[in-house]
Amino acid sequence: MKGKHFSSLIALTTLAIAFSVQAHDPKEHMKDAEKPDCAAMKNMDHSKMDMSDPMMQAMMKQCMSEMNHDMSTSNVAPDETQSEQQKSEHQH
Amino acid sequence: MPTLTTYIKCLVVTAVIALAGGGLFLYSGFYPMGADVPHNQLTYWLLETLRERSVARAASDIVIPQDLNTSERLLAGGADYNDMCSGCHLKPGKTDSDFTLGLYPAPPNLTMSSDEHGHEHGVETDNNDAAIQRQFWIIKHGIKASGMPAWAPGHDDERIWNMVAFLQRLPELSPQQYQVLTARGADDAGHH
Repeated sequence: MKGKHFSSLIALTTLAIAFSVQAHDPKEHMKDAEKPDCAAMKNMDHSKMDMSDPMMQAMMKQCMSEMNHDMSTSNVAPDETQSEQQKSEHQH
Repeated sequence: MPTLTTYIKCLVVTAVIALAGGGLFLYSGFYPMGADVPHNQLTYWLLETLRERSVARAASDIVIPQDLNTSERLLAGGADYNDMCSGCHLKPGKTDSDFTLGLYPAPPNLTMSSDEHGHEHGVETDNNDAAIQRQFWIIKHGIKASGMPAWAPGHDDERIWNMVAFLQRLPELSPQQYQVLTARGADDAGHH
């Protein structure tokens, strides 16, 4: 009987520890963190978006860096792209 | 004609028999405790009423922040929801998980509005503020013997409010929107 109580206590303690591990610093999740998949955002009609909606603002924040990166690479002139490629080949 | 003393005697005897019967049933071990056998209607009603009245009373004084609907709160709360809650309370595009199938009572599907998932929250949820207070209290304190932990020991109130903020918008999110909002990978440093 005592053994049963003891194993219940152990099980509860283990569960509590497991939950306290989940009760975490957000940084603990960074190692297996997903990146936002912003492909859907790019295809959206931006004129129809309500930019005063906090949800839309949050999504834009998440995808801003990726969208800026895409825009900057698409704005690069073809000869600049070529020279970038040559540079990276040279580095390798 | 029975006297008052006779009435009192009858009452005492009935109470003793009820207590003895209850005690016998308690110690007999006949009540099924497995999560795969639902409570009978009376037990379910008793426990649910106890839970809802207790939460409503305890949550009624909670002050809701004015800035609940902001992008910062949605991003911070979304990432935490995905890590801590989605296993039981699901995410858009998912209809069940091992937890929703195995836990009893089954955790509510929070990707649906309270009307859609058919989970009664009591009359208080007609008032949106009461529903928000209720969500905050439950996340903070948990619910005994339900599988819902208290998150307060590792999470301050602001972090819990962020999750509550995210819950207000969760039912309207598509799977793609959910993925973007809850991903920690972009630049998480600014969210917490």
